[in-house]
Amino acid sequence: MIVFILRRLGLMLVILFLVSVIVFSLVHLTPGDPARMMLGQEATPEALEALREQLGLNLPLYIQYFNWLTGILQGDFGVSLKDNTPVLSILLEKLPVTIQLTVFSFIIALLIAIPAGIISAVRKGTKWDYVGTMFSLGGVSIPPFFLGILLIFIFAVSLGWLPPSGYVEPWVDFKQSMLLMILPALTIGVRLSAELTRMLRSSLLEVLQADYIRTAYAKGVMEKGVIFGHALKNALIPVVTVSGLQLATFFGGAVITETIFAVPGLGRLIVDAILTRDFPVVQGAVLFMAVAVVVVNFIIDILYSILDPRIKLTGGQ
Amino acid sequence: MRGTFKLCFLLAVTLMLISACGQAAPTESPSEGEQEASESAGQSADKTTLVVGLDDDPPQLDPHFSTAAVDRQVYQNLYDKLVDIDEQLNFVPQLAEDWEISDDGTVYTFYLRQGVTFHDGTPFNAEAVKFNIERMMDPNNGSPRAAELQSIDTIEVIDEHTLEVHLKEPFSPFLAVLSDRAGMMVSPTAIEEKGEDFRNSPVGTGPFKFVERVRQDRLVLERNEDYWGEQPQLEKIIYRPYSDENVRLTNLLSGELDIINKVPPKDVERLRNESGIVLSESGALGFQGLYLNNKDFPFNVKELRNALDLVIDREAIVNVALRDAAIPSAGAIPPGSWAYDESIQVKERDVEAAKRLMAEAGYPDGFSFTLKINPRPVEEQIGQMIQSMAAEAGIDVELEIVEFGTLIDQLDNFEFEAARLGWSGRVDPDGNMHPLLHSNGSINYGYSNPEMDELLDRARAETDPEVRKELYRQAAELAQEESPYIFIYHELDFTAYKDNLKGFRHLPDTMMRFHDVYFE
Repeated sequence: MIVFILRRLGLMLVILFLVSVIVFSLVHLTPGDPARMMLGQEATPEALEALREQLGLNLPLYIQYFNWLTGILQGDFGVSLKDNTPVLSILLEKLPVTIQLTVFSFIIALLIAIPAGIISAVRKGTKWDYVGTMFSLGGVSIPPFFLGILLIFIFAVSLGWLPPSGYVEPWVDFKQSMLLMILPALTIGVRLSAELTRMLRSSLLEVLQADYIRTAYAKGVMEKGVIFGHALKNALIPVVTVSGLQLATFFGGAVITETIFAVPGLGRLIVDAILTRDFPVVQGAVLFMAVAVVVVNFIIDILYSILDPRIKLTGGQ
Repeated sequence: MRGTFKLCFLLAVTLMLISACGQAAPTESPSEGEQEASESAGQSADKTTLVVGLDDDPPQLDPHFSTAAVDRQVYQNLYDKLVDIDEQLNFVPQLAEDWEISDDGTVYTFYLRQGVTFHDGTPFNAEAVKFNIERMMDPNNGSPRAAELQSIDTIEVIDEHTLEVHLKEPFSPFLAVLSDRAGMMVSPTAIEEKGEDFRNSPVGTGPFKFVERVRQDRLVLERNEDYWGEQPQLEKIIYRPYSDENVRLTNLLSGELDIINKVPPKDVERLRNESGIVLSESGALGFQGLYLNNKDFPFNVKELRNALDLVIDREAIVNVALRDAAIPSAGAIPPGSWAYDESIQVKERDVEAAKRLMAEAGYPDGFSFTLKINPRPVEEQIGQMIQSMAAEAGIDVELEIVEFGTLIDQLDNFEFEAARLGWSGRVDPDGNMHPLLHSNGSINYGYSNPEMDELLDRARAETDPEVRKELYRQAAELAQEESPYIFIYHELDFTAYKDNLKGFRHLPDTMMRFHDVYFE
């Protein structure tokens, strides 16, 4: 177990290093000069040159990268080009918002997916199954920006039940904060749940074919007992893995959803920073998300071994 | 069963851990912010807090370093300027009670208002003004304002409340410059104490003072109880950024916001008929059209520029793509300006004349070019209209969608043939004409004409408005003859607010001033 964890940790570091190189290169290869964006269309060439010098943009790229990386290793993510705020403090300000949205979306996704997946699998071929399958097909197909605007239109504008957009911290006004989270979390959650439903349905169907299920029935266990006591546990294992992987997809969805619902999280931060060529902020935010995805996958791997003792982590023995 | 329980338990613990981190991290959020956040959620019925929907998140709050247009919205209420403008673009006193301009136009004497203090208690006086202007001019500071103030030679403090600014040469747009960001006064002690951090905790003399800012969420100002002028009636202003125009509008209609800026053209008609909402319209200061690369083919050929100019039906673009939320343009100076001259007519579409011009220049079969546009539905529509109008004269237009930051870069490097971009405009006509048409202009892409340079230089130095107007008329005529830029329309600015909001003045600089605003 320990050898496995150490090996996975080493791999994580390699991945994060590669991510940092890729993020840095992509950001710096994007056309658009931060100095130009900051000084505007009227800037004189001298002022532009002075600002580039000041921001260190004239240094060779590998030196800029080296400075950035050594800074990060010391906990210094650099400062925003726009207002000199340390990138780390901006990220820490945005992170809880995105985590709140993530947790909400996952809860919604699980609340929908687990019953829907079970019913679909157990009542395979009935109208319940078709309803579940259609829901998951629809959920995967509908683009989040469209679903988001549709939800605003129905629940905020036409019915007036929920506020259309915005954000309040939960410890400031808990009820309002929850109300504001419902629509954006639903926008992301529906998609997640659609994927999870499909996953759970097929994995449960597979498990239900297994010998031990037949044995359980033969021993006279009731259907409920078979499903909840024997099948579900094993069927959920691949689902847990998939939900970990979905975190990456989630961040993609968050960029759009946070923009539509004016949620001040990491997703919107990235969009704004890209549009204003605020390089340190873009790099920091993407790196943060990469770390989150890698770490969650690491945790999932460990969970996996606990859930399924057949999977030997030490490899070989 | 036990396994399922274990799994659920693990899941629950993970979720709890995640949400616990979420709660723990930002508890340092100031308690003052808490109240505002819930107020802004639209539950409170108090009528002393104004909630404003902005088109973007103000990047930073130091006027001497700002370049974003949206920053200025907040500055209007946080800072006072030396002089302000009114609806007719006349200069009115603000921090300068009065001023004199020497006959040769090189010495500006400002008589400053007495008894004014900054929000941190620092007295406002001639030394403070000198400090501010020198801060912007100091090349080591890299202020974007330096270019606007480069006409200044020396600044002399005469006494506590009198100041003389000596210019290197006469520069008539000087007062106009001081009516915008370059004229906004920041507290010298705050600058010295806070350094770079001033951008996040600004100190001015304005009717409202800074409380807090949460990036991409809200920016809060409260009433300055020590304001030198009449006390504002509002106690608090909360700005909220909504980059999506539909979301901004939805929030106004659902009651979360009291006022929004930049109403998109497509919603103008609808808001006119919306009960409980006032739609306010004003001419804006800028111009919109096509930048042409005057250095390379095809637009280094004057006839081809003229031909393109002639095939465009401005009326149609304004009616269809902009739904009449703009007016056709004949030049860089919008109708609201004192320098606007009616004798400069909007060019009528004339496909035959365009064909003749192309034939004369040796291109009877037309030519082709790529037009770069920003990724917005309205831009695409305008682009397509130009494409089909040009096609009738045999001009083949290819559209390319380029994001703004990249586009600016490509313009700088002359990696374009034509680009659909405009200029937000300035109070003084010089700010619209000189950057675009003078050989040294900052938004001039390869057009150089000694005659034009001379006209613009003379107009800049001239102090008599009548003479200046005539010089700008000649420059505008010359620009129509040469078409270095294709003027298409002048924007109209629309602001929408709830009808219980009173006292709002809509100025052509499109900046929202809330000193006189109150709820009924």
